[in-house]
Amino acid sequence: MKQILLITDGCSNVGMSPVVAAAHAKSEGISVNVIGVVDQGELGEYGSAEIHEIARAGGGLSRLVQTKELAQTVQMMTRKTVVQTIQIAVQKELQHVLGNHSIEALSPEKRSEVVRVMDELTETSELQVALLIDASASMRPKLASVEEAIYDLMLSLQAREGKSEIAVFHFPGAKHQEDCVNDLNWTTHLKGMQSIFPKLHMSGTTPTGPAIMSVVEFFTKQKAKSAHDLTEMDGIIGDNAI
Amino acid sequence: MTTLSKLPLKKGSVLVGKWKGQQYRIESLLGEGANGKVFLVSKDWNWYALKIGADAIDLQSEINALKALAERNLSQNDNYLKDVDDCIMPDGKEYSFYTMRYVKGQDIPTYLEQNGQEWFPLLALNILRRLGQLHQAGWIFGDLKVENIIIAEYGHVELIDYGGATKIGKSVKQFTEIYDRGYWNSGTRCADSAYDLFSFATLCVQLFAPRKLAQATSDLIPQNRSIEELMSIVKSIPQLAHYEGWLLKAFHGQFRHGEEAAEAWRMLAHRRKAIVKSNKTPRWLKVLITVSLLSLCTVASIALLELGGLLK
Repeated sequence: MKQILLITDGCSNVGMSPVVAAAHAKSEGISVNVIGVVDQGELGEYGSAEIHEIARAGGGLSRLVQTKELAQTVQMMTRKTVVQTIQIAVQKELQHVLGNHSIEALSPEKRSEVVRVMDELTETSELQVALLIDASASMRPKLASVEEAIYDLMLSLQAREGKSEIAVFHFPGAKHQEDCVNDLNWTTHLKGMQSIFPKLHMSGTTPTGPAIMSVVEFFTKQKAKSAHDLTEMDGIIGDNAI
Repeated sequence: MTTLSKLPLKKGSVLVGKWKGQQYRIESLLGEGANGKVFLVSKDWNWYALKIGADAIDLQSEINALKALAERNLSQNDNYLKDVDDCIMPDGKEYSFYTMRYVKGQDIPTYLEQNGQEWFPLLALNILRRLGQLHQAGWIFGDLKVENIIIAEYGHVELIDYGGATKIGKSVKQFTEIYDRGYWNSGTRCADSAYDLFSFATLCVQLFAPRKLAQATSDLIPQNRSIEELMSIVKSIPQLAHYEGWLLKAFHGQFRHGEEAAEAWRMLAHRRKAIVKSNKTPRWLKVLITVSLLSLCTVASIALLELGGLLK
């Protein structure tokens, strides 16, 4: 299961549309969640509309929060998206077997059994979360909270039974042609880590779309391996759920 | 995602189960949890609490936990979970609900306010015993906090909102930051009995020093949140002085399970000095003392007079 979690506080202003980029991610099987950090309501109507649109196109969730709510939101959103992804997979499977049925249409007894299996999958499925952090100048005072949220997310993921990895990116890069920078490669722990963002050069542009595309590319490099994992998960659902 | 904010449920409206056909009359709104709204309802002259969820799957997951606990005979006298069904609203939308035993009670701060702080050790013990039962069945409560505990008459404890209930060994399903040991850099979010006991210890701090606790969460930078900080608040609370050692053990996860923790608490609570002294002597006691002092004086003076008379 793959997720991108975008944390931003403004509108994209360079390169391809982030909504299109998110739709690309979705078609690669990656959900895109978006958190808008709005402390003084600086995001504006256009910015918040963009945030919700990106998440819709990416099949994920979106929320506008204050900096102090960041850690809890990141943790909850990631969990909710795992549940949702499994739900969609199970729904598909149910439709396949029972025709036009949703989980809600099952009798309480049957639903109870299906949900039990879904909870099990929520806990045991493999998960990769790529955090994509907007590091434009206005985000600078919020980066400490972003780091805290990342540590907190790692703590929650470590409690899962399934293998859980995170990677961290920020955008824009220092050089002009760089859309985003990989700060941290896939990892299952943050032990001994001093700082995720050591020294950032904050520049004025916000190339959200191109940055999302770079992360999608990062994911698809290891596609051969994960394609195998996905068929394995379908198998589990098919055997147990119905 | 569906929302519950515009749910057309007012006092007097009747809710009919889609699968089993049971009818419930809405009396009032009791509260709102993470997964849904809880209403007081009536059916055949009985009261129930009815929880209706925005998300059928979240609610089902909670119901499954309750069922698993019911199978292990954990619901005290009678079953906590009564009925599980769906209902169709006039607007055609479907919602899941379940009904549970309704317990009339108050939250802990209100109960202590009205009945006196000397009840605290017993309430705490009853909460710990309840947690102990869950742990023995292989579950933890997860989201233990003031809002999820109801105190009925004579300190009877009822845990409500099982949305956080998690099987031991899995990741804690739902928690609240200030009660979470991960938030205090003091452990994982894997469900074990020590997780609940940490939350319980924080709950004790929250009861007696809510402002100091809130202050600590806003002042401390994340890396500095620690058991030492929590203990420094504990040390400023006279009502917890007797339980300091116990709380330190709970914060450090040194009890094997809720039952052991409850037993240790009971030992402390039953020692006489454990009884939390209320701040002031009740008025009826003052009146009694005055009356008895006065009568003592009268008796004494009469005796003196008589003595004087005799001596003459």
